[in-house]
Amino acid sequence: MRSAVIVLLCGLACACARQPVVDPPPPMPSKLSAGLPADFSGYWQRNYTRDEDINGALEAAYRKLERSLPQGGPPGAPAGPSPRDFNSLVALARLAEKITRPDEIAIAQTEHEITVQRKDDYTMLCSFYDDAAKATVNPYGQEVCGWDGKDLINQLTLPGGLQITNRFTVSADRKELRVFTIVASSTSRVPFTISRFYKRYDRLPPDFHCIETLSMKRVCGIGPLQQ
Amino acid sequence: MSRNLRSVRGWLVLLAFALAPCLAAEPARDVTALEVSIPVFDPGLPKDPAQYRELEVFPRIRKIEAMFLPFVLRDTLEKSREWGPVRVVPKPDPAAELTVAGTILRSDGDTLQLRITATDASGRVWLDKAFGSTVTGANVPQGTAAGMSRFQPLYDRIAAELATARDAFDENTLAHVTDISILRYATELAPDAFAGYLKTNDDGTVELLRLPARDDPMLARIRQVRGAEDVITDAIDGKFRELHSEIASVYDLWRAYRRKSLEYRAEDAQHAQVTANDAPRGSFEQLENTYDNYKYSRITSQEMDQLAVAFNNEVGPTVDRMEARVAEMQGWVDERYGDWQRILGQLFEVQTEPEKPRSGTGETDH
Repeated sequence: MRSAVIVLLCGLACACARQPVVDPPPPMPSKLSAGLPADFSGYWQRNYTRDEDINGALEAAYRKLERSLPQGGPPGAPAGPSPRDFNSLVALARLAEKITRPDEIAIAQTEHEITVQRKDDYTMLCSFYDDAAKATVNPYGQEVCGWDGKDLINQLTLPGGLQITNRFTVSADRKELRVFTIVASSTSRVPFTISRFYKRYDRLPPDFHCIETLSMKRVCGIGPLQQ
Repeated sequence: MSRNLRSVRGWLVLLAFALAPCLAAEPARDVTALEVSIPVFDPGLPKDPAQYRELEVFPRIRKIEAMFLPFVLRDTLEKSREWGPVRVVPKPDPAAELTVAGTILRSDGDTLQLRITATDASGRVWLDKAFGSTVTGANVPQGTAAGMSRFQPLYDRIAAELATARDAFDENTLAHVTDISILRYATELAPDAFAGYLKTNDDGTVELLRLPARDDPMLARIRQVRGAEDVITDAIDGKFRELHSEIASVYDLWRAYRRKSLEYRAEDAQHAQVTANDAPRGSFEQLENTYDNYKYSRITSQEMDQLAVAFNNEVGPTVDRMEARVAEMQGWVDERYGDWQRILGQLFEVQTEPEKPRSGTGETDH
């Protein structure tokens, strides 16, 4: 019995030691007062001049990692993060770079849903019914959204302690969109964060109107087609 | 279109009165061959729209299936030659001899689950049961073509169980069902004239207390009206037949895509299992793999959503046209129903009114 308690305590101690230093998750209010707090709809094009540099973001995360390490280790022990810590952080940075690569996004918004369409990736989905956010769940993860004031927050929780959070902030004049991405994992002491900026643009109305059908695939015509 | 309908109405009214002598007394009939009414199925949509995605229910398509699938059951019952006229109707008719109602519990490429309830005119439940069938690529029935249900064996089972349920009753009981049916119809149409023939019990079932005379003139009129309404009901049923033949091939395509989507999903699951432990924990490859598993699963779901939109784009206009036409015909029936109720009420009043004293008889109170 005594040995079982010791094993349990050791287990808890190890778990606490491995606990990553992650920024507290943004607040996820479960109830919305009235309507959706901000309008993100439109076509958005990446503004590379405003974008945060990935190497700069990695340096900032590395410094944070250094600060997170306990000060005054045993004499002779190597100072600074271990290669393993560094590799874990680089892995998060590479994943963040991959996820935030699309240079165009299209956001559609209705009374209940916001979808963020990205090239070569799935469409993010935020559902709000009965004034509450509804999670999208599948066997490989869970996606849920919430609001922090007028910021939309999309949080994806994946197996193995991987968590990807995107905070969408639209400027008051709706010309600029900032997407702040946090990639955190139980394998890294610190998360990796990066900001991407987008400019809104208007798409010209198409010359042809097309609809998808099952038997004839895409059907196009001049003038609106019956949906 | 409405001009055509007006002329059809005129013909129907003429037809109804022309056929009056034939309809006055019910011809001898096989009481085991009850008339069957199949209302459009309950699409079985979850009350909370937020659950549509979770349960993979496409509401518009479910509503189309709710109009489409009853026709397959109707066809199956008709082909069994066990029943009288079998009609698909827009809404349940409590006076129908036998109502076979259905709810779609599940419908995807591989599986169809229906809850079927059969209730006779007396409110007696013959059958209340869930029927399900899973048809994968390997066990598709031979000869399945566009318009022929892959789930035909499921409908055959429903038809067989209905016949078995019917065979449990003797002819006398079934004859009572037909009597209750016409009297329920009569009571709705002319409540004053037909009060006292039926009794509704606390559990909602209806009991036959007595029968009107075979040559009751009011009952003859009621049969006449019901005959006219049946003509319209047959026309509405014809619309469901048209809908079935027009969208059957696209519906089969939709089911094929849904089946394909289920296959992709199974492949995704297999891929995720195979690659689960390939890369070291915390490495970019492992993180990317975890992310990609979620990504591809979501993309598969989104492709399904797009296919649902494509299906609706293709059949939506046909369904809308058909719904409008059925609503127009049903509206006409409802409107005429009000007229018939009023006329029959007045007739009954005239027949039962005590003779009024003639004016100028000199009768005075003393």
